[in-house]
Amino acid sequence: MAKEPVRVLVTGAAGQIGYALVPMIARGVMLGTDQPVILHMLDIPPAAEALNGVKMELVDAAFPLIKGDGVVATTDAVEACTGVNIAVMVGGFPRKEGMERKDVMSKNVSIYKAQASALEQHAAPNCKVLVVANPANTNALILKEFAPSIPAKNITCLTRLDHNRALGQISEKLNVQVSDVKNVIIWGNHSSSQYPDVNHATVNTAAGEKPVRELVKDDAWLNGEFITTVQQRGAAIIKARKLSSALSAASSACDHIRDWVLGTPEGTWVSMGVYSDGSYNVPAGLIYSFPVTCRNGEWTIVQGLSIDEFSRKKLDLTAEELSEEKALAYSCLS
Amino acid sequence: MAKNPLRVLVTGAAGQIGYALVPMIARGIMLGPDQPVILHMLDIEPAAEALNGVKMELIDAAFPLLKGVVATTDVVEACKDVNIAVMVGGFPRKEGMERKDVMSKNVSIYKAQASALEKHAAPNCKVLVVANPANTNALILKEFAPSIPAKNITCLTRLDHNRAMGQISERLKVHVSDVKNVIIWGNHSSTQYPDVNHATVTTSKGEKPVREAVADDNWLNTEFITTVQQRGAAIIKARKLSSALSAASSACDHIRDWVLGTPKGTWVSMGVYSDGSYGIPEGLIYSFPVTCEKGEWSIVKGLKVDEFSRAKMDATAEELAEEKTLAYSCLN
Repeated sequence: MAKEPVRVLVTGAAGQIGYALVPMIARGVMLGTDQPVILHMLDIPPAAEALNGVKMELVDAAFPLIKGDGVVATTDAVEACTGVNIAVMVGGFPRKEGMERKDVMSKNVSIYKAQASALEQHAAPNCKVLVVANPANTNALILKEFAPSIPAKNITCLTRLDHNRALGQISEKLNVQVSDVKNVIIWGNHSSSQYPDVNHATVNTAAGEKPVRELVKDDAWLNGEFITTVQQRGAAIIKARKLSSALSAASSACDHIRDWVLGTPEGTWVSMGVYSDGSYNVPAGLIYSFPVTCRNGEWTIVQGLSIDEFSRKKLDLTAEELSEEKALAYSCLS
Repeated sequence: MAKNPLRVLVTGAAGQIGYALVPMIARGIMLGPDQPVILHMLDIEPAAEALNGVKMELIDAAFPLLKGVVATTDVVEACKDVNIAVMVGGFPRKEGMERKDVMSKNVSIYKAQASALEKHAAPNCKVLVVANPANTNALILKEFAPSIPAKNITCLTRLDHNRAMGQISERLKVHVSDVKNVIIWGNHSSTQYPDVNHATVTTSKGEKPVREAVADDNWLNTEFITTVQQRGAAIIKARKLSSALSAASSACDHIRDWVLGTPKGTWVSMGVYSDGSYGIPEGLIYSFPVTCEKGEWSIVKGLKVDEFSRAKMDATAEELAEEKTLAYSCLN
């Protein structure tokens, strides 16, 4: 018997990431090829015509998995949030040339405060939220603070893109299939202070699983260029494409939700920005990227991983940046 | 045991349709979730940096099925050993350009690509032409790649087919997966003929003819047809960009059904080399209803064609014959 459709909200759906993301959702990449979906797409009134164009294309593509009400395309946050089981928050105010960090933060804090309210009041119980729009961690934190009836564990931000980028860099360095690399970790903020950590990462070889550090045999690269490449990859994509990374962001958003809902494979963890409980001496009350496993629709931080001195500093640095962002965000609200 | 990877070429890969298409291929939407792929992406020199950006993103996405990416401006490297070729690259019509100018540029492109494919692609390479004028670009490709079997050269009308199903599903307020067996006849242009005379919709009482369920012949013979014919323009009007998402998705459907087979009792529309079926002139790439089995398409035979349909099928054939003449005149 066919499953009941799941309602998936994408905000900022008329934009580039939305355009890459919605066909992936409609094909079952996010929730499985046997899971029917109803898509809710939200954007701001200036984008209403473009948003309707996306809806038209979703109808034109004749996706078998789109069921129920089909596609809801709206500029009304209440209509957008009603009954949604998954919310992917791509909409936000992008930084424009000449804008100060405080200005971008201020605009986004207002947006996420308003969206928090709409979600809390209208989403389905146990709605899972993924914040993509930058500053992702802090937008997610604001959303959490202003939607107190949404369990904190249901509010996450995307660092799976950075995690996947790290896997990609290791696979290229070692000339192996990316599917043979696992258990990198992205710690902290989805920003250039993130810490891509391979100390527990492994590669599947003919002789079994080997530590990445052992196979790469180049600590200077792993502690230097590898880290900065992953941290700054977003800028590198913009330089090459003249547009930001919609394809890989959308794909990673699908991975984040899929693993959260359907579970991580045995022996594998992923990176998610989640509400810190103080693990690894990261301050509680931040949305911070940790290594997690997922089971039965819940994520759990992987505990007990050894943290060397080099890593400790990096974990703390990105936590510090997040604390500053939090203070800045709160100052915008006052 | 894991399957051997298949090589899939996308030309014009740095463009909008390419950007929508490559993640779909990398996720197994085109060839199945158990079929590893190696992507070959080709574009022109001015797009080399953007193309490399797409390659970077494909690596960044860590797709388990993607076993390699070749991003190149060299058509020989691009075509080498490819099993599937999706030809998205072409010269777009710009404001002020005459039809002859667009045709001329594309004819040159497809003549050159034909040569490269013929010499370097894997045997039995399946070709899908998307770039407009799709049917005629495909015909030129066929003419200049004589060692590629004509049956392996097709053009995309699955987008129009899917659009027709979408319109019927909206009209009847049913799921699109409950509608089937529409037909797109002819040219992927505004002379295409979206035909519902053999289409059905699944209801709680079994399969019903669409004409019966819609109960509005006037709409089916006029507005429905023009809506599907002009949908591309409607998308451009709304988005200010053309329909990359739905074109890419339909390209995946076209290849998937061709390679993996159509479901029982269901046909699809593909632009294929005409064998004279249904009174259509041979030697054109014309969209027909087809079923697919074991990697081969077959035109569905014996469907009744009424007078209204006959006129429309002939009109679009006429346009294709004119395009063919125009294309050949550009070569001289």
